[in-house]
Amino acid sequence: MAEAQLTSDEPAPAVEAQAPATRELTYLEAISEALREEMRRDETVICMGEDIGAFGGAFKVTDGFYEEFGAARVINTPLAENAIIGTAVGAAIEGLRPVCEMQFADFISCGFDQLVNVAAKLHYRQGIAVPIVVRLPSGGGFSGGPFHSQNPEAWFLQAPGLKVVAPATAADAKGLLISAIRDPNPVCFLEHKGLYRTVRDEVPAGEHAVPLGKARVAREGSELTVIAYGSSVHLALRAAEELGEDIEVIDLRSLCPMDTEAILASVRKTSKVLVAHEATRSCGVGAEVSALIAEHAFEYLDAPVRRLTAPDVPIPFSPPLEQAVLPQLDDMKEACDELLRY
Amino acid sequence: MSSSGTSAALAAGGRVEVTMPQMGISVSEGTIVEWRKQPGDEVVADEVLCEVSTDKIDVEIPCPASGVLESVLVGEGETVAVGTPIALVLTGESNGEGAGTAGARERAAAGPGAGGSSAAPGPKGTGDRRPATGDPGELDRSRFYSPVVQRMAAEHGIDLESIAGTGVGGRVRKKDVETAIAARSAAPAHKTLHTESPYRPEPEAQAPAPSARPALAGERREVMTPMRKAIAEHMVRSRRTAAHVTTVVEVDFSAVRRRRAELRADLERRGVKLTYLAFVARAAVAALQEFPVLNASVDGEELVYHDSVNLGIAVALDDGLVVPVIPRAERLSLEGMAAAIAEVAEKARTGRLVPDDVQGGTFTITNPGQFGAIIATPIINQPQVAILDLEAVVKRPVVVDDAIAIRPMAYLPLSFDHRALDGATAARFLSRIKAILESGDVS
Repeated sequence: MAEAQLTSDEPAPAVEAQAPATRELTYLEAISEALREEMRRDETVICMGEDIGAFGGAFKVTDGFYEEFGAARVINTPLAENAIIGTAVGAAIEGLRPVCEMQFADFISCGFDQLVNVAAKLHYRQGIAVPIVVRLPSGGGFSGGPFHSQNPEAWFLQAPGLKVVAPATAADAKGLLISAIRDPNPVCFLEHKGLYRTVRDEVPAGEHAVPLGKARVAREGSELTVIAYGSSVHLALRAAEELGEDIEVIDLRSLCPMDTEAILASVRKTSKVLVAHEATRSCGVGAEVSALIAEHAFEYLDAPVRRLTAPDVPIPFSPPLEQAVLPQLDDMKEACDELLRY
Repeated sequence: MSSSGTSAALAAGGRVEVTMPQMGISVSEGTIVEWRKQPGDEVVADEVLCEVSTDKIDVEIPCPASGVLESVLVGEGETVAVGTPIALVLTGESNGEGAGTAGARERAAAGPGAGGSSAAPGPKGTGDRRPATGDPGELDRSRFYSPVVQRMAAEHGIDLESIAGTGVGGRVRKKDVETAIAARSAAPAHKTLHTESPYRPEPEAQAPAPSARPALAGERREVMTPMRKAIAEHMVRSRRTAAHVTTVVEVDFSAVRRRRAELRADLERRGVKLTYLAFVARAAVAALQEFPVLNASVDGEELVYHDSVNLGIAVALDDGLVVPVIPRAERLSLEGMAAAIAEVAEKARTGRLVPDDVQGGTFTITNPGQFGAIIATPIINQPQVAILDLEAVVKRPVVVDDAIAIRPMAYLPLSFDHRALDGATAARFLSRIKAILESGDVS
């Protein structure tokens, strides 16, 4: 992990423990709240993106922001992702903390050069911090087809200098976005569209920063570890409940930096691992986690490390085909059951 | 002969390097089961330093020198080749501090602490390992041991062969090892010493496996003793391994009887009981010098010829059988042979054998004739290639110079491994023994 090098000379974000009251929010509301609170707290925080102004964004994350913060801080942009991220990098160099919204994560490919070649490397090349966040509404499950359903996290895990987070719960969506905004490095924030309105949990009101690079034990167990993030965490939790088995679920939350200690600790306990994600299979997070385990916990394994992922194909429009491609609850249960019996 | 073969080299700075000993002819590596001493502990020469397990035996490694255990270079559960340094003992006899010290520290640092990069545990059972992917329901996995299973078994000295697997395909899984460990700690500590050679780690006493069926009226069921199980396993394995053939010669023991009568009183005064077995052993060892292929082992596609005859003598016990070994039997005279046989037999019967006494055999003689049997087809003691059998010496009418005479006769069956040699060689070998014995020229 290049954690030490990643840190530029910004002060560490203050994490105040004030036992805040909680209330139930959706995943979407939690993201929106995090953004609003940070913009209120710090006037250098700005938003940029397509239709995020008066329209409030394609998914209404910035609904009401234009009215509250004005056109100077809630900036509607042309349909040009390279320009959005490039402008954000420049603004960040000048002292702002831009939060860019990609309307769909898929469109990040147009902004790839500014993100991967410029934002990720400025600190290494010139010692300049680039505190931007790129919000990436990702994931499928609603017949969005090949351009509106992808999970592109692995692209960014190959670009040293970027941090990548992918919350599964509303509380983490808020806490990780706050930490991402305060982090001095460029952060890709993967928010799963399928969770926007289906996931609802207790979210602390006010200050709530979840540290980057820390996984969460979503469910404790001793027979099998399912390592997941984003939507797959919910699939794993449901499978564990329905199977009634002693399954541990680790929610990675951060993909880079990754909480390797939490992964290895769980492997040492259960000796069996399923890595699950909605993204495609090859060279993905599952491959990386499997390799990590093979390298550092081989002598603790009691079964081959298995992956439950989408196959290496684009996401189809057709609902039955899309269902066949994306890991379903039954697939998760079957994969768990197979490992438990092994 | 150093009792356990622990080898040690004097390292610089008054240090003695302890290396993985050669524990048997076919043993090439050992696994540290447990360190009885920790770095910093005082050690006295010959005190047990650690316990090592090989694929044949468990051995306690004595400390080669007195001093302080400076460092342990190989961690518990790790497997290293014979000759690899495993520990450093500081003897306090300073003979030039400095050179070598750094190297020693480096090795120490790269030892047990190096965790992740250290060698994988012994490859026991990996022969049938297949990529464990896809449908796990079909393959026989009863002898596939996962990394965690191998490690836990090594750490706790569990014999995996003795565990019934509950995983897919009969696989022994982590859970099963945990159950075995729990069962063992509940069971009373009891370790038998005897076992069939080659010595194998004693299967741990376990709660009797629930019998498949309850005893019927008129029968009684008993769980086999560890020795019985070890013999059963070894015999079946040998049958499966070697191409057994048995050839028999008949020997006239008249000359041996005369020679025995000549020597007997003298030897008895010196406390040595002269038996027919000693004559046969002496003749066999002499013949083995001329037919080295019978003093060999099969190792894969290679024949391993042994310079020395390490002669196994099968000794019947009340509840089993053990084969103590007389090392380098070619150096023994008839009297020495008789004394050596008496000694190992006595040790076997009184339970005083140590693992070193039952391993490294290159040829075995069994002697059921003492109980009156006249012919048998013995099973070879693996990895040897032959076993000679002395049957009862009984008076039979035989034709001598076209006349019928009464002579003390005995059959000498030889079971040999047809993979290593053919019937003609076996017959020539037996004929040579017969000629030696019938000449009576044994001393």
